[in-house]
Amino acid sequence: MIELRELTKAYPTRSGFNVVLDAVDAWFPPRTNVGVLGRNGAGKSTLVRLISGVEQPDAGRVLRQGRVSWPIGFSGGFSGSLTGEENSRFVARIYGVDADEVVGFAMDFAEIGEYFQMPVRTYSSGMRARLAFALSMAIDFDVYLVDEITSVGDAKFQQKCRAEFEARRDRSSVILVSHSLATIRSYCTHCTLLKDGRLLYFDSVERAAEEYDA
Amino acid sequence: MRGLVIELQVIHALVLRETKTRFGAHRLGYVWALLEPIIWIATFGAMYYFLGRLAPPGMGVVEFLVTGIVPFLLFRSLATRLTAAVDSNRGLLFYPRVRPLDVVAARAVLEFATHMVVFVLLMGGTALVNGRLTLDQPLEVLAGLALAGGLGASLGLSFCAASVYSNVAERLLGPVLMRPLFWMSGIFYSVEALPSAARNVLLYNPVLHVIDLIRGGVFPGYEARHVNAWYPLGWVLVLSFLGLTMERAARRRLQLT
Repeated sequence: MIELRELTKAYPTRSGFNVVLDAVDAWFPPRTNVGVLGRNGAGKSTLVRLISGVEQPDAGRVLRQGRVSWPIGFSGGFSGSLTGEENSRFVARIYGVDADEVVGFAMDFAEIGEYFQMPVRTYSSGMRARLAFALSMAIDFDVYLVDEITSVGDAKFQQKCRAEFEARRDRSSVILVSHSLATIRSYCTHCTLLKDGRLLYFDSVERAAEEYDA
Repeated sequence: MRGLVIELQVIHALVLRETKTRFGAHRLGYVWALLEPIIWIATFGAMYYFLGRLAPPGMGVVEFLVTGIVPFLLFRSLATRLTAAVDSNRGLLFYPRVRPLDVVAARAVLEFATHMVVFVLLMGGTALVNGRLTLDQPLEVLAGLALAGGLGASLGLSFCAASVYSNVAERLLGPVLMRPLFWMSGIFYSVEALPSAARNVLLYNPVLHVIDLIRGGVFPGYEARHVNAWYPLGWVLVLSFLGLTMERAARRRLQLT
């Protein structure tokens, strides 16, 4: 469960402040996949970073219950000089889970073959994304924060991710950020719309879609 | 309590990771960590020999130089490695559990451990050659090394936080601070041997105090009577306060990716 209380974030720009989140109150229920819809630059990634805790709000707070993932999707967080396995071990240790188990799962799920034992700097961006995604799946999070899942791998891999999220629906939830209605439709039952610093909550993706198109 | 466990997990993971990345793919850095002090000792040892100079009474030239150069390198490497800690690990801050201070702490642990091993190896090696070990007050030596580490760490933390605002600080550290300090810290001369006018000025340098304290602890006949532990400790406290305050302010400015 995630709760936002008067969450505020603004960035200084040349022409004053760009208020990305303006005292946003919201509640993301447990075991419910919620989409966050918004145009490019609406502040979706900022919202995800604030929820995960890698960035600090200017005001307000984020309340988290359970284990919340890092922002999955764009594949920062790997050391290029270390192998996929070494990076996996590192992440497992941060979260205090069994490293061998995580390594085994990630190797299986990522399907990058012998590249798993090679330095991450030799990876293509697709392979990085696969590893990042596999790694987040290897650790049991209560809330998965996913930023633009469309960038992760090919159609087959995406199908696999979707199946994996489906399989753990009764224990974890997904907060999925995207500018694409189709993506959100395929993962989420509920949807929020981020627009002009406000976050509007909808019980169905379709209601959000109407507002999004308007 | 749970927060503390997580903190330790994260620092532990970072230390293990740093041991792989710090010293390069072939672990040559470990050799270098030992080789650098040996080169300095050989250089200054040769100068002592050819100039016909002696170490202060009761000290062998090699031990005298070891007790000077290793604490200084401990201080210097902590300061420079910590200054760059956040910048070179920016990608890791992408994991919410890894905070800038964790990255700094992990590097501090690794640098300190590395130089402690170097100190033990060089002192042990000298003892083997001489057939006897000089270590008069082990606790004093340990306290001195901790002070050298504390000075480097608190200075590095301050510069690390400052580097978020401007990279000028980082560029000043080496040439403007470390290079003069190398000559002003009593690495290859003792405080005792200095003319009193020079001594009075150089005693503003906390590293000089630390090195002399360590020598006082190592050598039975040597009393570190011009220096005290409180002065460098004061520096550590002031710099830590400054560094931690600046880190809090810099945290928000830190941009990911």
